[in-house]
Amino acid sequence: MPKLTIDGEEIEVEAGLTVLQACELAGKEIPRFCYHERLSVAGNCRMCLVEVAPGPPKPAASCALPVSDGMTIKTDSEMVKKARRGVMEFLLINHPLDCPICDQGGECDLQDQAMGYGTDRSRFLENKRAVEDKNLGPLIKTIMTRCIHCTRCIRFATEIAGVPEMGATGRGEHMEVGTYVEKALTSELSGNMIDLCPVGALTSKPYAFTARSWELKKTESVDVLDAVGANIRVDARGPEVMRVLPRNNDDVNEEWISDKSRFACDGLKRQRLDKPYLRKNGKLQPVEWNEALAAVGAKLSKTDSKKIAAIAGDMADCESMLALRDLMASLGVPNLDCRQDGAKIGGGARSGYLFNTSIAGIDDADALLIVGANPRLEAPVLNARIRKRYLMGGFKAAVIGENVDLTYPAAHLGAGPDSLSRLISGEDPFAEVLKKAERPMLIVGMGALTRNDGAAVLGLARKAAETFGMIDGDWNGFNVLHTAASRVGGLDLGFLPGEGGRDTAGILSGADSGDIEVVYLLGADEIDTSKLDKAFVVYQGHHGDAGAHVADAIFPGAAYTEKSATYVNTEGRAQHGALAVFPPGEAKEDWAILRALSAVLNKVLPFDTLAQVRSKLAEAHPVFAHIDSVIAEPWGDFGADGAADPAPFKSPIDNFYMTDPISRASKTMAECTAVARGEVLEQTGTDG
Amino acid sequence: MSLGTFIYTLVNGDLVGTDEFGNRYYRGRGRKLNGRERRWVVYRGKVEASKVPPEWHAWLHHTVDDPLTEKAAKARAWQMEHQPNLTGSPEAYRPAGHEYKGGQRKRATGDYEAWSPE
Repeated sequence: MPKLTIDGEEIEVEAGLTVLQACELAGKEIPRFCYHERLSVAGNCRMCLVEVAPGPPKPAASCALPVSDGMTIKTDSEMVKKARRGVMEFLLINHPLDCPICDQGGECDLQDQAMGYGTDRSRFLENKRAVEDKNLGPLIKTIMTRCIHCTRCIRFATEIAGVPEMGATGRGEHMEVGTYVEKALTSELSGNMIDLCPVGALTSKPYAFTARSWELKKTESVDVLDAVGANIRVDARGPEVMRVLPRNNDDVNEEWISDKSRFACDGLKRQRLDKPYLRKNGKLQPVEWNEALAAVGAKLSKTDSKKIAAIAGDMADCESMLALRDLMASLGVPNLDCRQDGAKIGGGARSGYLFNTSIAGIDDADALLIVGANPRLEAPVLNARIRKRYLMGGFKAAVIGENVDLTYPAAHLGAGPDSLSRLISGEDPFAEVLKKAERPMLIVGMGALTRNDGAAVLGLARKAAETFGMIDGDWNGFNVLHTAASRVGGLDLGFLPGEGGRDTAGILSGADSGDIEVVYLLGADEIDTSKLDKAFVVYQGHHGDAGAHVADAIFPGAAYTEKSATYVNTEGRAQHGALAVFPPGEAKEDWAILRALSAVLNKVLPFDTLAQVRSKLAEAHPVFAHIDSVIAEPWGDFGADGAADPAPFKSPIDNFYMTDPISRASKTMAECTAVARGEVLEQTGTDG
Repeated sequence: MSLGTFIYTLVNGDLVGTDEFGNRYYRGRGRKLNGRERRWVVYRGKVEASKVPPEWHAWLHHTVDDPLTEKAAKARAWQMEHQPNLTGSPEAYRPAGHEYKGGQRKRATGDYEAWSPE
């Protein structure tokens, strides 16, 4: 390991690091614009200059200089300071200095570093360069005059997002960053460019001119719009969520989040359920909490327990699912289901419904088979992780299902279960690849498991995993990719049909035929609500979506930014979300509503505080006692034998931007949908 | 007016004038206070210091020797009439959107659109 001296201190670092990384290890802060640890090295901003000996007597860009033994580095010498001041002066020559009207103000790298290396006046008397703004679609606002050509956005689009749409034209002062031909970016991760941009050239369009970074209250939370459980920071001002930003977690989302997670937050302000409703004379009327609870309590206690059912939705938190499960158990109700999409999972071993490899484990895989999933739409951040693995080299991927662009090359082996059977029997050449691979992995998605023959497909996938040696010692290459944040938590809590109970399909058909009289929907909207017309429907949730329209009683609950709640992601990692703003109007935290209902029913649930609910959760399943960690699950029994229907797999996500009540209520997501469908590229100025 | 003030005013007070609200202003006869004559007001109705209009306020506080009633009589058309402090009364100022003003206000940040059944 090379030894070097940084500002007089000796340090030993790993070979292959750059001088900038070594300085960072030594605790020296090096200013930079173009360098980013998750992107390739560009070395074009020249801000990270340091003095290096031995070498030519001039400052060297530390981000692009590998360490070697015996280097002496000065990060703070007069020469270094002078060089950086010079670089800063050149950068500011063509920068508009419009910080007071710039959305990046307060969180701008250039602004911060100009404090250290900028001068208080300009020597530049000529005209500044001006660049026309580009239209990158409804999410990213561009003010290209502010661009300092760090090329982070270009590298992000090319490397991480895998859509080489951004690029630079011209050179020197005439260089312009853009999409060549004006078009909206087609990446599901494009919002991350806003975070990456060190200046205010790329800013958030929906957030433009709405808030300043220092007036926001920052709350660290967890995203629930897909099953990855990306770590987010919710920025709120007063009662309003202003924006959602990613938070670093190398095991889950690194520092990226999908556009839906980032921009759907305006949906939290529309279509909100803010008071209890009760259907009187065929019309929903706003009522007091006591009246609504009493009416639902009376209905539940009058009804035979076999005729009551409960379905948990895609964004239900574990606390409320536990409360609903226990309440239904105390009433003797067997008809529970947390799989509103009808996925044929759960009941067997825990490894049968988890992403066992773990998201960070993708980095170790060397072959991948995707069955009935489109990770690009179902979990964009996870897809970026697979792409990262692909870029590391020595990685082969194949897809059985829809033949879509996943941003990395993947052989298309077929569309349906028969292709999987063929692969298992070794007829497909990709079988050789999987056999030779040391750490092969398989991702089976909801497109394959929500079908009627889902159990048989799961059995096939299990057979494939065993055939190709994916379960080998520490390595478990069998993965289920969920699409709902609540699913794994629900399965862990056993929010499943009890003895003789009905599943979602059974509940819906029972409600249609009159066998089920009361249906309790815990935020369940993605079901065929037309079958619920005859039943007495209680809807507990935060948005007036499909479920609320058929409801006979509505309990207003809290959205994910409005409650401290636990979610389990597709890996089986339990994470705590936090309350950023309070629920609107009379809405309450969901577990508290169920606790109040249990008191009305005289079946009081044994908890009064969040801490007590969480200790009950930990009793219910050990995963809730190990927050933010993944417990390796032993291989067990799950899935079913039997013939699978040869119909092709189809991803459950048709429109990435609208998958849940929040994103369906979001105006930004509606714009994205229109653009993605090619209807409009948002028009501005005299065009619109 | 308390009984003490009533007797003191009857014995010692010379009425100087009365303002448009009916408050009466008195000057003390005889003993001076801190080398100046005593001046006081007897309010009509509720005792409320802000009921004293500016022309009398200046006299009451010894800013001027005589009340500025003549000047006040020549007030410009654009000068507003004196108004006592209304805080705590039903006529107190309340911003638009206050419950007492109908509760109708303009949209503000942080407002949300509530769902309604129809």
